[in-house]
Order: sequence, then structure tokens, then C-alpha cells
Amino acid sequence: MSDAAKEAFDALKETVGRVTVDDPKMQAQNVDVFYGDKQAIYDVTLDVAKNEVVAMIGPSGCGKSTFLRCLNRMNDTIPSCKVTGDITLEGESLYSKDMDPVLLRARVGMVFQKPNPFAKSIYDNVAYGPKIHGLANNRAELDDIVESSLQRAGLFDEVKDRLTAPGTSLSGGQQQRLCIARTIAVSPEVILMDEPCSALDPIATARIEELIDELRENYAIAIVTHSMQQAARVSQRTAYFHLGKLVEVGETKRIFTNPSHELTENYITGRFG
Amino acid sequence: MNNATTERVRATLKKRYLKEKIFRGFGITAIAASLGFLVLLLGSILIKGLPAFQATYLNVDIELTEDVLDISADASTEELRGANFSGAINQALRDRFPEVTKRKQRRQLSGLVSSGAEYALADYLAENRDQFGNTVNLWLLADDEVDALIKRNKDLTQPIKRGKNKNNESALITRLSEDQLGWLQSFKDAGDTNVRFSSTFFTNGDSREPEQAGIRAALIGSAYTLLITFVLSFPIAVAAAIYLEEFAPQNRWTDLVEVNINNLAAVPSIVFGLLGLAIFINYLAMPRSAPVVGGIVLSLMTLPTIIISSRAALKAVPPSIREAARGLGASPVQVVTHHVLPLAMPGILTGTIIGLAQALGETAPLLMIGMVAFIVDIPQSVTDPSTVLPVQVFLWADAPERAFTERTSGAILVLLAFLVVMNLTAVLLRKKFERRW
Amino acid sequence: MTVINLLIVTAVLTLLYFLFGRQRAYSVAKGNGGIRGMHSLPTHYGALVALWCVVPALFIIVAWKLLEPSVVDSLLSSSIPAEIRAQGDMAVSLYRNEINNAVDSARISSLSDPAKQATATRLAGLQKYASYGLFALTLCVATLLGFLAIGRISPTLEARHRVEATVQGFLLACASIAILTTIGIVLSVLFESIRFFNQVSFVEFVTGLKWSPQTAIRSDQVGSTGSFGAIPLFAGTMLISLIAMLVAVPFGLMSAIYLAEYASSSARAVIKPLLEMLAGIPTVVYGFFAALTVAPWIKGIGESIGLSVASESALAAGLVMGIMIIPFVSSLSDDVITAVPQSMRDGSFGLGATHSETIRKVVIPAALPGIVGGVLLAASRAIGETMIVVMAAGLAAKLTANPLEAVTTVTVQIVTLLTGDQEFDSAKTLAAFALGLMLFVSTLVLNVIALYVVRRYREQYD
Repeated sequence: MSDAAKEAFDALKETVGRVTVDDPKMQAQNVDVFYGDKQAIYDVTLDVAKNEVVAMIGPSGCGKSTFLRCLNRMNDTIPSCKVTGDITLEGESLYSKDMDPVLLRARVGMVFQKPNPFAKSIYDNVAYGPKIHGLANNRAELDDIVESSLQRAGLFDEVKDRLTAPGTSLSGGQQQRLCIARTIAVSPEVILMDEPCSALDPIATARIEELIDELRENYAIAIVTHSMQQAARVSQRTAYFHLGKLVEVGETKRIFTNPSHELTENYITGRFG
Repeated sequence: MNNATTERVRATLKKRYLKEKIFRGFGITAIAASLGFLVLLLGSILIKGLPAFQATYLNVDIELTEDVLDISADASTEELRGANFSGAINQALRDRFPEVTKRKQRRQLSGLVSSGAEYALADYLAENRDQFGNTVNLWLLADDEVDALIKRNKDLTQPIKRGKNKNNESALITRLSEDQLGWLQSFKDAGDTNVRFSSTFFTNGDSREPEQAGIRAALIGSAYTLLITFVLSFPIAVAAAIYLEEFAPQNRWTDLVEVNINNLAAVPSIVFGLLGLAIFINYLAMPRSAPVVGGIVLSLMTLPTIIISSRAALKAVPPSIREAARGLGASPVQVVTHHVLPLAMPGILTGTIIGLAQALGETAPLLMIGMVAFIVDIPQSVTDPSTVLPVQVFLWADAPERAFTERTSGAILVLLAFLVVMNLTAVLLRKKFERRW
Repeated sequence: MTVINLLIVTAVLTLLYFLFGRQRAYSVAKGNGGIRGMHSLPTHYGALVALWCVVPALFIIVAWKLLEPSVVDSLLSSSIPAEIRAQGDMAVSLYRNEINNAVDSARISSLSDPAKQATATRLAGLQKYASYGLFALTLCVATLLGFLAIGRISPTLEARHRVEATVQGFLLACASIAILTTIGIVLSVLFESIRFFNQVSFVEFVTGLKWSPQTAIRSDQVGSTGSFGAIPLFAGTMLISLIAMLVAVPFGLMSAIYLAEYASSSARAVIKPLLEMLAGIPTVVYGFFAALTVAPWIKGIGESIGLSVASESALAAGLVMGIMIIPFVSSLSDDVITAVPQSMRDGSFGLGATHSETIRKVVIPAALPGIVGGVLLAASRAIGETMIVVMAAGLAAKLTANPLEAVTTVTVQIVTLLTGDQEFDSAKTLAAFALGLMLFVSTLVLNVIALYVVRRYREQYD
């Protein structure tokens, strides 16, 4: 980081651009995250809108994944992690006593960086969520959920003849779509995606990106990506994170053509990353 | 649609959290039960075994006169050994209870004192020749049945658990007669019974009399056996580990060696005993019951353990060290002997100590090669017949006298103490020399 | 002239040759432009000379000691009286034993029979000649070869290469001892088993229902032929192992799950070594505990509810064996559970599964092959466990599935048949080796399968 950029970062008190939307699905307000004594996120405020993809970009270690994991309390599994500030889903606070993490995660699904199918068949991978949550009354309903989820993930035609094959026997791109199908099968309201294409080849990536665009019709989507091109292709709004601070938020088009903050500009013009 | 999902999930929550609690409960129960077993096992042995380090003594006035001992005042040391010490003890007991006249009763009276007491008396006189002709006041080792009652501070006036008293909970379990209990009570009333620490347990060999039996012979036998095990297994295991980790080419022979080592680590120990019996004793005609054969068998058994942990220690030395040494022109053997081996040594030693601790506790293969013998004399060399501590435990556990239970538990405590010390050494060694690369 | 003395003398000779060789290398170096003019360092030349001295010497000693018993035996057979030889192998071996014992304990004169005394004297003489011969041969060869090696020291001799090749050869030999041990085990149990199956048919052994190995010494006594049907032993072994596994698997697995998934790292640091203490306790201690504490306790409970319980019930032995195996199952399972990638757990949590759902439906299925491998290893250990059953299980072979009755096991019978006085050729002692063969083969099969499964599992997540 150049001295000028460092100065700009230190001077940063408030996020540039409009952090709120008119019709929010989720709202994060003044969120700080600590790992033990170390602070990872500084005072982030950001909305996730319905039927929209919001992309979070920034150099590695900037806290974008950490922030994403706060949105369905995945950080609960790390004992030293502490979250302050408020995050709401449809106005209900995520970290209040009334909010049940199991229920929350059923409503806010997550797709991970590396495809992580379970050591089960393709069918059982998708049926897992509906089964544990009791979403199907009988086998026929479960079959329907599995089929429609696979179809919406664009995987059904490829695997319909081998639903009993292990999920790990699929290719990387197929595995990731399987994981998306697995998430959809629970009928969540929000889908969080943590660099979903970083382990995939370009063709598989293109397939997933198309899928994300289709899914936007029904879900609110937040995606973390290390690829600016991907953010530009799939998202409507983009948030730029830098060393734990949310630097700038805005319409994707504007961010990539006319960034307001010096740090954002440096990043998208490739001066660091 | 989404609200329906929420409702359905909410409906399942209570049951699912209950299941979660139950599952966690199972886990805690399993651990608590396992640790409970450990406490129960150690506790029961500790309670049974601690009395083994103590013995009961009876206070008696003994006349060491010429007529009683049947030797003259100027007897040589040799002659002194042959004196009638048991007569002197019997006389002293009869003097104390002059009312005892019948033959059978007199025998019972003598039975209160251990048959080993006369040797203690002989030793006393040998050291205190000036007491010859005097009446001395001495504490004599009591018989094991007496010992059992006094140590546990039993009420000697209770009825004895025999015949009609069979189901009486508070009745005494003893082989002593009512007369003997009466005499014992009078000793007790006079304050002439005493329970104190006794070194007999550590200084004697095995004996048919529980109160005289000790673990010295077994300890020495274990030491010899372990010495042989160490001398054989350590260099061979280190050499094998170095070969496999540093020099072995990727070929079928190496694969075969590795598969063999892993399998041998899981072969039942008794099979190693069969190997020892068939090859070392029957074919090579090595002596039975000898620590040298025991050591060879145990080293074959512990080799895989030590090889596996030595390899892990060698593997932990970073390749950069080897490259640096090779870059200076060291030959492969020099790289290993000058650089890799010294760095891996703490890890190798830790593995070796753990392997030896395993060998120290091993019993079954030693039974096969005849180390299960009644050994009174302390073995003088690695070819003398001997036994080892765990086998001594096995032998005593089988003995019918109740007092051997206490000896068995005592021997186990000593064995466990050695194991704890060895394992702690291993842990400390690892802690002290642990390196993070 | 014991072997120990010979070894000490050889060691001293070797050291001397090392010093001579090094000295010689220094003097050769002087005439060839110093040490730099030599191929190797003087130490290497010394080591090479020492190797030429010690390796052949050790080879001679080992070979001699391997051959000596059979050579002495065959030389001695001529002096065994003909009437003894006429009585068959058993009588000859008894005769030999008596002579051997007398000679070993140096009490030839205590033998009553003059013929025996003569044989014993001859044996003592043979042994004396043998030890002198070995001594002389070893030292001559060692001295000569060392001397020749010193003479060959020259600037072009590649001493370091040869020494290092020898070191590597030694390392290889040490590594190969594992193979030798396996071969030794196979040979020792196989040969005696074949002799056993010459006397008792294999089919009878593996299908017979009656086991009573007590054979009388003379053929005209009652019960002269024992029965060697091993099915009751196999059944007893299975019964006790099964009880042990029923204890060890649930407790071990649940402990591992709790430690790997729920326990905080500080709790883990305390509990894990405590559990491992269970594994470090010698089996003879468990046997004592089983026989003295657990068996009477089970008997008491059983009788108080009106069941008849044997004082050496299979349940007591199996229960305690199970406790012994708990840490084995738990540490193996712990390893495989922690090897399941965190991303898989995250995937399950991300879908809203509870922790126990994640464990039961995702982690355990993923870890199953490894857990099965660990359980197989534990089963092999239960089958081969000796001391607990020797001390707490019965001796009578009984075919029953009732855990409250006393049963016997393969290992108990091996110990019983081979401890105490025995003649080596009787069917009774040979039977122990046949049982040993069965034990070795069955545990080997279990181990090979288990190690293979575990290895495949590890590779999957590496």
C-alpha cells in the first residue's frame, strides 16, 4: 500500500456510498467481529436486498468472508469468535435469544469455497436438509424436492441416471452445483456464497454464474468473490472491503466505472490485490 | 412458501434439541464411565495393596540363654546359625501363656508368629552378641492370618465365620482358632501388637508364606529382562527406522518390510511366546526361564513399536537440514549420523521408553518360555532362572492364601509406579526437546 | 570359554584393528602428499579394517552356534545305548534330556547309571572341544583377515564407499528382521502344527465338539487318547471377544466423538491422557481385577436376582477385556473423526443441522471405513488377549452361548498346555502350536484387512 493509500485508509471513518436499500431482506448495523483479542471487522453496516445479488470484493484477508459468515452465524462454530452490533433478517435480530441458529441457517443457506459434498449418494446429499428439517411428509414429496432442487441447480439432466452414485464421484463444477442444489432444497430466503467458483475451471465457473443470475428471481443472494470480473458479471450491487473496513458500496456498474474512494479505485485498477 | 418452511422447521426444533442433549449425554456418560472404570480399578488395587507395605509385629520377651538356645556362650558364628531359635521363640510364648499345656494348643500358640521370625532372631543375635544370656524384648513378625486381623483392626471377640455363623455379616473370616484369637486379644490388650512399615516386601524373594514373600527376585529379573530388551531392540529399531526413512528404495522388499512391521505390531503377544519356545528354547537350546530369552522375545515384540515411533521422529526432521548437509558434500551416511539422527534422538528415545514400558508390563509370552517359576533366590546373571514382576503378580494372584491378595496388589502398585515413572519420563523428554520447525 | 567371553575378545581385537588401520593410513598418507592424497579419511580406513575383522568373526560365531546342537546331537547318538534307542524316540529324548541337564548343572557324578555317566562325560567333552574350536577358529580368521586388510590400505582404496555400503547393508539387515520375525513365527507354529495334524486329523480339530487334551503318558492308562475338537475353544473366544466389543465399541466410540467434537481443547488435554492410562495398565492387572473384583461382583448380583452364575463367568472376563480395549477403540476413532474435513461439517451446519445431526449423519458416515478398520484391529486384540482370560475365564471347554457360564478360550488353552512340565512331542503340547497357528492366522487376516481399510481411508482425505 502506498503512503497515500495508507493515509486514505486511516482517514476512513464512514463507508462511501449508500449502504442501505429500500426493501432490505437482511440488515447489518455497526458490526464488529473479534477473534480473541484480534479485531477482524470494524463497524460494518450493509443491507442485502431481495431479488438482488450483492457482491463483496476486496484483497485477501479483508474480512469479506468473515462478514459473510456472520450472516448465518456460521462463526458460532469458532469458540473464540465474538460478534457485536446488530444483524437482522426480516427485522428479527440474528444474535438475539429468540433467534434459533438452526432455524436461521435453514432460512439463510450457505455455499462454500470448496465443493463439500457429504460422503453420501447424490440423492442423499440433496435430501439431507429436507430430512433433518422434516420438510417432506413422505418419500414422494422428498423425491419431488430433490428433483426440483437439482433441476433449479441445472444438474438434474446430468445426474438423473445415477442418483445413487456418491456425491464425490462428480466433477468439481458438478459438485458445486450439487452443493447449491443441497442449499436450495431447504427453500431458504437468502443464499450466501463464499467464493463459490474459486476451485473451479472457467467453463464450470460460467455455468455457476448463469445459475446465480437465475436464482436471483427467488432469493436474496450475497456472494464473496476474489474476482472483480465475476462481481461485475453477476451482481447488482458491490461492496468493497479493505482490512476489515467496508470502504465503498454502490451499484456494480458505478463501482467499476466510477469509484469514489481512492482505495476502491486502486483495487479495481489493479494497483494492489 | 418460505413461511411454510419456517413453520415446519420451528415445529421440529424441540425434538431435535432434545436429541442433541441426549447424544451429548451419551458422550459424557461414555467418558465418565471409562474414567470411572479407571478409578475403580486403581482404587480397588490401592486399597488392597497398600497394607502389603506394612506388617504386624508381636512384642515378646525372649530368653537368649544357653539352655534355651542349645549352644554355648563362646559359639562360633557358624554354630550360632544352628542354634534353636524357634525353640527360644516357642519358649517365650509359653512363658507368656503358662496355662497352655496341651500339645495341639502349644502348636497353635507357636503359629501366631511367622516361621520367618527365627531368622530375624538369628540376625539379631549375630549383631548383638553381648545380649547372649539375657532376656531381650523383641518385636517378632506375626503370621499372615494374625496380620490380616490386626491390620484391619478387627474385633477379635466376634464369632468366627464357620458352620452356623456362615451368613453372619459381622463374623470374622479367619483360619485362626478361638484359642488363638484369645491369646491375640491379650497381646492386643497389653499393647504388644504393632503394625508398621516393613521392608520385607522389597528385600525378600518369593516365599510360600505370604508374610515373608517379597518382590526383590522379580524386580531383579525384570531389570535383567528389560536390559536385554533395550540392548537388542534399541539399536536394531533405530537402524531399521533409519533405513526405511532415509535409504530405502521404493521397491517390493521395502513394501514387504513395511507391511511386516505394521502387522507384527498387531500380532498377539502370546504368539511371540510360541516363537520363543519353539526357536530359542527348543531349537537353539537356550536356557528356560532365563531373562536372556525373555529379553530376546520381548525385543522382537517391541521392535515394531520402536521402529514406528522412530520413523515418525526421523520424518519430523525437515528435509532442508538434509539438503544443507548434502550441499556441503556430506555423504548420505554422514548426513544421517551427523545431522538427522541427533535431531531425531529425543523422539526416538521417547518411543523407546514407551516400548520398554510395554515390555515391562508384558506377561503372556514370558509364561511360554518358562519364566513362570517359584524363584526364591535373587538371580545373579541373565542366564539364571528368574521371574519378572508381572509374572510374580500372576503367580500370587493364583495362590490360595488370602494374604497373597494383598501381596499381589502391592506388587501391582510397584509395577504401576515404574510404568508411571517411565511414561512421565517419556512425556517430559518430549516436552523438553519438542521443536517446532 | 563362553560366547560372551569370545565376543568381548573379538570386540577388543576389532578396536585394536581400528586403531592399527587408522595409524597405517596416516603413515601411508605421509608418503602420498598427506591425507588429501588419500581417497578417504584415516578413520574410514580404520573402520574398514575393523569391519574385515568383526563381520566374519560374528558370522562364524552365529553359524557355529546354529549348527552346534544338531552336530553334537548326531555325534552323541552313537553313545546312547542300543536298548534305549530300541524303545523309540520318546525314550531317546528323555535320555538326552537327563544327560543334558546333568552336564548343564555340572553334576555328572550324580547320575546313577554308569552308561549314562559315560554318555554325559562324552557330551561334556564334545562341548568343551566345540567351544575351544569356535574360539580358535574365530580369532584366527579375524586376525588373519584384519591383517590382510591393513596390507591393502593404499591411496586408491575407496574405504569410505565400502564402509558406507556396509553400514547401509547393516541397516537393511536390521529392517529385514521384521520379515525374519514373521518367518520365524510362521515356521515355529507351522512345523509343530504339521506334526500335530499327523497325529490328529485337521478335520477333527476344526469341527470336533469335544476338547479334552489330557493324554496319559502310557497307552494302557485310562483316557489315553485325548479329544482335540477345538470348536468349543473358538466359540468361547468368540463369546468373550463379542462381550468385550459390546463394551468397548459404544464406550470407545462415544468417548472419541465427545472428545473430537464437543470437548474444549483444555478438557481434551486432560481427558485424553487419562483414557490412555487405561491402555497403559498391564493386562495382568486387568486379569487380577477381573478375577478378584468383577467376577465375584457379577456372581453376587446374579445370585441376588436368582440366576446361577459361574465364578469364572465369560461375562466378567469379557467386561474387563472390553474396558481394556476402550482406549484402543477411542484413540483410533478419534484419529479418523478428526481426519474428516471441517468443510464437510460446515456444509452440514450451513444447512441448519444441529451438532448431533451433523455427527450422526455426516461425520460418522464419512469416517465409517476408518472406524470399521479400528474396530477390526480392536477385535483382533480381543481375540489374542491372554492374561485376562487366563486369570478370569475357565479351563473347561464348554460349548455355550450363555455369558454367565464359564468358557475357555484359545489363548487360555495355549498357556495351560505349555506351562508346567511337558514333553515336547506329545499331542498335548503340539496342540498348543496348532491353536497358535489358528490364532496367528485369524488375527493376521483381521489385521491385514483393517490396515488396508484404514490406509485407503487415510488416502481419501490426504
